[in-house]
Amino acid sequence: RHNGSQTAPLVPVSSVCVSFAGEIVVSEVNFVRKCMGTVTTRDDLWGKLICTNFKVSFVTHDPSRQVRKFQYCNRLLGDHDVPLACVEQLVTVNDTTGKQKVLLSNRKLKFSPTELIIYCKDFRILRFRFDESGPESAKKVCLAIAHYCQPADPLLLFGFEYVGKRYDGSSGDQISTADLSARLRTPLFDCSSDWDREIKRTGASEWRVCSLNEGYAVSPSLPEHFVVPVSLADQDLRQFSCSFAGQRIPLWCWNHPNGSALVRMASIRDVAHQRKLEQRVCSAVTRSHPKRSDVLQSNLDRSLPRIQDVQTSLVKLRQICVFGGSEESEDKWFSSMESSGWLENVRAFLQHSIEVVHMLEGRGMSVILQEEEDRDLSCVVSSLVQLMLDPHFRSIEGFQSLVQKEWVMAGHRFLDRCNHLKKSSKEESPLFLLFVDCVWQLMNQFPSAFEFTEIYLAVLCDSMWIPVFSTFLFNCPRQRAEHSRDFAQSRYLFLGEEKTLRFPPVWDWSQQFSHRDQALFNSPFYVGKRAAPCVQNGAVKTFKRTKKSYSSTLRGMPSMQNGMLGRHGSLPRRNSLILRFRPESPARREAPESTLDHFTRDWLSRPADPHGLLLPQLLPSHLKLWRLYFLRWVPEARIPHGGMVMALHKLSLLADEIETLQMKLRQYSGGPTPGCSSDRVTLSPEQRRMYFRGSPLPITPQQPEYLSSAFPFSPVGNLSRPEVLGTPLRKFLSGARLWLSSETLVNQTP
Amino acid sequence: MAEIESCFVFNASTKQSIFLCFQASNESLKMELLADVPLLPGEERVIDKDIIYICPFNGPVKGRVFITNYRLFFRSVDVDPAVTLNVPLGVISRVEKMGGASSRGENSYGLDITCKDMRNLRFALKQEGHSRRDIFDILFRYAFPLSHGLQLFAFLSQEKYQENGWTVYNPVQEFRRQGLPNDQWRITFLNNNYELCDTYPTILVVPYSASDEDLRKVATFRSRGRIPVLSWIHPENQAVITRCSQPLVGMSGKRNRDDERYLDIIRATNKMTSKLTIFDARPNVNAVANKATGGGYEGEDAYQNAELVFLDIHNIHVMRESLKKLKDIVYPNVEESHWLSSLESTHWLEHIKLVLSGAIQVADKISTGSSVVVHCSDGWDRTAQLTSLAMLMLDSYYRTFRGFQVLLEKEWISFGHKFASRIGHGDKNHADADRSPIFLQFIDCVWQMTKQFPTAFEFNERLLVAVLDHLYSCRFGTFLYNCESARDANEVKMKTVSLWSFINSDRASYINPFYTVEFVHVLYPVASMRHLELWVSYYIRWNPRIRQQQHSPMEQRYKELLALKEQYLRKLEELQLSDSTSHLSNSTAPSPSTPSQRVTHLQTPF
Repeated sequence: RHNGSQTAPLVPVSSVCVSFAGEIVVSEVNFVRKCMGTVTTRDDLWGKLICTNFKVSFVTHDPSRQVRKFQYCNRLLGDHDVPLACVEQLVTVNDTTGKQKVLLSNRKLKFSPTELIIYCKDFRILRFRFDESGPESAKKVCLAIAHYCQPADPLLLFGFEYVGKRYDGSSGDQISTADLSARLRTPLFDCSSDWDREIKRTGASEWRVCSLNEGYAVSPSLPEHFVVPVSLADQDLRQFSCSFAGQRIPLWCWNHPNGSALVRMASIRDVAHQRKLEQRVCSAVTRSHPKRSDVLQSNLDRSLPRIQDVQTSLVKLRQICVFGGSEESEDKWFSSMESSGWLENVRAFLQHSIEVVHMLEGRGMSVILQEEEDRDLSCVVSSLVQLMLDPHFRSIEGFQSLVQKEWVMAGHRFLDRCNHLKKSSKEESPLFLLFVDCVWQLMNQFPSAFEFTEIYLAVLCDSMWIPVFSTFLFNCPRQRAEHSRDFAQSRYLFLGEEKTLRFPPVWDWSQQFSHRDQALFNSPFYVGKRAAPCVQNGAVKTFKRTKKSYSSTLRGMPSMQNGMLGRHGSLPRRNSLILRFRPESPARREAPESTLDHFTRDWLSRPADPHGLLLPQLLPSHLKLWRLYFLRWVPEARIPHGGMVMALHKLSLLADEIETLQMKLRQYSGGPTPGCSSDRVTLSPEQRRMYFRGSPLPITPQQPEYLSSAFPFSPVGNLSRPEVLGTPLRKFLSGARLWLSSETLVNQTP
Repeated sequence: MAEIESCFVFNASTKQSIFLCFQASNESLKMELLADVPLLPGEERVIDKDIIYICPFNGPVKGRVFITNYRLFFRSVDVDPAVTLNVPLGVISRVEKMGGASSRGENSYGLDITCKDMRNLRFALKQEGHSRRDIFDILFRYAFPLSHGLQLFAFLSQEKYQENGWTVYNPVQEFRRQGLPNDQWRITFLNNNYELCDTYPTILVVPYSASDEDLRKVATFRSRGRIPVLSWIHPENQAVITRCSQPLVGMSGKRNRDDERYLDIIRATNKMTSKLTIFDARPNVNAVANKATGGGYEGEDAYQNAELVFLDIHNIHVMRESLKKLKDIVYPNVEESHWLSSLESTHWLEHIKLVLSGAIQVADKISTGSSVVVHCSDGWDRTAQLTSLAMLMLDSYYRTFRGFQVLLEKEWISFGHKFASRIGHGDKNHADADRSPIFLQFIDCVWQMTKQFPTAFEFNERLLVAVLDHLYSCRFGTFLYNCESARDANEVKMKTVSLWSFINSDRASYINPFYTVEFVHVLYPVASMRHLELWVSYYIRWNPRIRQQQHSPMEQRYKELLALKEQYLRKLEELQLSDSTSHLSNSTAPSPSTPSQRVTHLQTPF
């Protein structure tokens, strides 16, 4: 029975439609063929295509397909399901008439479709054929999908039904807020105490929590609580607010141990007072600096790509990744990658963040990030800067709190940027994905600095398309409150003291994954860091990384303030980092460009410390395509038994062994129990953090057969064609043309 | 400080090697440290001079250059930490004078050195006297000893190692490992005196039913007598990889019954092979063009039981130009503005892709039970790439530390890849059209495979880099000369040290900690651009703006965790021991060593 790591969760191919609270089946059609390629083959699956108010579901009842295979299992989605929010485009085809049509909500379909192609936001393409199914019900399902994936009103987003059901009392899985917060250790920054703790953690003694915006009285897009300089009174702030875009008072983000602060600010609308107001903000920030250091304003709009550019580059990248496998485009892979501009965008954001890091760490100056609305580019830059500087944010809890703080609470328009309502594609922009890609680049270069894996990052991005999480559903906290109220009123729900519906944050991972599957998020590189046991006088003590020790790591970070701060006349002239103070000084204009260079070189000369500053290498030769995310659904790009995960597997087994040993050592500290051999002491499954676990027997665990470069995602998972695995050649030669016909289709559709 | 530090450019593995040979030889060897220049046994100082090294990254650095019969060593003065260069002379492909007596401008008078390992070095000298002429002449003589009637350093080296690398490869032993001879294949010593083919090894495996006379006849129809012989046999399905050179078909479309019959005999050795697949590595047009020079390919009519597949891999000249373009975009600075399209325009990765996908096709044929013949024109460049890569995919033995050495010795060295001509060891003729980075390309393919299968290879990236460094260094005899007969004639095994002596004496440095032994099935890399990458840690390793890591961060971490595990195990053992002693004799105090030891070891900074 002990077969060690081979016992990965095996789930049978779903034979029933997973449905849960609030989900209703809208339309369905039987005898549908799910195609595995552009031509129909015997590998295709037969089943039922269902449209619910949440997802497009395909339920196969083919008994021969009930193969047990590996796939991590999402509690909200079955193997063949796509959430409606993830649908990018629907195309219906009629073979006999040769007609094709892009389906939109409330439009008519004049022909009976023989085929439905779903293009997904996560780069998947699904193909269904209706040769054997009733033409009318096929048409109905297609129209239903088109209708439901374009909700006319935010309140029609599935999340409201999902959460609303919990207030009915009819649903058994009602959870109280107390339960939720107990389960969740991530601070959400929706209360002043979370901000207080962050101030204490970073030692930002000259900053205070401001609750001026309670009830969203001042700014519609700011959170109710945020942090401002001690020297500014609420009264002043209220007065300032009128002059800023969106009444957004400048927000504190983070403090460096050397006292420099990172602040974000919207543009000043009131031109007459612009200069004066800027001066006041800057001097307040200066006053909050222990050394009264200069403040730098960094204009992001001027130096970074526009959000529309980011969107354009993702659309191009999607084309390349999905269709790039054909023989003709294969040779142009690199130049097409370049022409998409995606990696160049990644580089631009990382580069700018490094410059800000240099100011904060190298020169000990506070930096104000300035952006028109302070709701897009600032989110990316401020979170990247903090990730590079503060190891706390590289832990899972820390990272989640960072997203909560700099994205959700700061009012990143997730609803618009994700285009959940499919209203205006002009507002759509994958900024969050871009940020996650930047994080991946950091992780790729410094694997042992992060507590989480790239699987975690990919799953996080996928969760954007599951519209039930408070994290990605709204444009700002106020919108959430308002929509909650509206929905509650329309349904006669009693919200109680909380005033908002209890949408789970995405950080409540148990909504989506079992505890076992969540272990995929834990990086084996990080083992031994979080809770390194230390033996003192025979007793093993564990140092949990508590809030307190976070701040101590931070303080211990090497900083270069001495010798750098006092030096005058060195100022970078690159990009937007413009010194706003004393611009009259002529010495400052002539900027030795070497300072950043010098800073980087100095850092390079020291050994890399995963708990210190991270400066990513930004030479284009060192930035990589995030293959797991972008290529996971492309069958011919999958390396069976290959990819990083192979090494990760081996490392995990070792990490698991170490954790078990730590446990045993800890056991000794409590003193051995008589009659109980210490060898029997094992970690309970809940305590083991690694997904791949060592065997209790002294045998070398086998490498599981299901591992591939796309793990845990499975491009051929649905295919269940074992013979495909052994002969990549055929895939390489013929599979390359897999999506070609769909591509021509795209070109033909208006 | 920082500026100087980042200027610290050195050849990591070479430098390492100097210290390693200390250990290997039990410090018994005489190690001369003349003016801080580390010398190998047998290495002698020739000249030293004040010079300015013009670092492409950080500008001119004053210092002193030392030239020995093995290396060029530069050490800066007045800067701390010192800037050093440690370049084996074998790496140098070209030395040129830069500027004349009348040139003006600072540092415009000096030497320009082009290296085979992707870097260039520039030195400036004072214009007075004959300072440059001396050093130029000496450098020219010692960098190109064969052009000056001198010996390669490998023949002067006095290095001694406990391991004898010359014993790594024993052809009979290797064939025995493959289960040969068997009832279909025999070992022949027909080439014992290199009479059948002077670029083949002495020991060959041929079909049992082909007589020596047959072989001689076939040799007349194959370019340079390189007849089809066995490289590898599948242990289960008995499908074979055989290698050879092109048939001498010529313009008139000559046929040779013996050759046709011989290939059919090869086909017949495996009952499952109804059609023998002939992989011609060249593009179709090149194969046709070769008819003009007497070569060609197997025609359909003549070889009825065979199918011919062209693999479209270009010739040595195309590969040389491709690498040249690659160097242009990575050294000294990485082309920043249009990196990906520049990379594409070098076609380097495209060539890698074609070589890999050719090998995949060979491996796929074999694993489906069908025998193959692989050839190009002469059967020593592309053929070696294809057979060795296919064998690497098919046979996990070649992915081991030892097995990989055997693979190189067998498919490359013994079968006459023209290392001397392709690399130009000790030869001043840098523009020689015979030079080509075919072996580098193969190692790059291996690296691509190790990237895609991080647990399948017992050796790590450092081994690959070390092999490439010593491909040029001329410190070991392993890669010298074009073929086995030339090596025999020059008594290489007697007079030089094998690279494997050096490598195997420091095995631990080259072991991949992620290697998982049980990985036995066929390894098919994905030869798509989506998965091919530029090997930055080789091609861009001289750039000081990139953190040079001895080991990959993954490897590093694994080793740290292994150490941690050992510590915990030791600790646990101690605790269990003290536990049982205290149980046995309750009154005795715990042994005095335990408490203090406990405190010392477990404080690892994780």
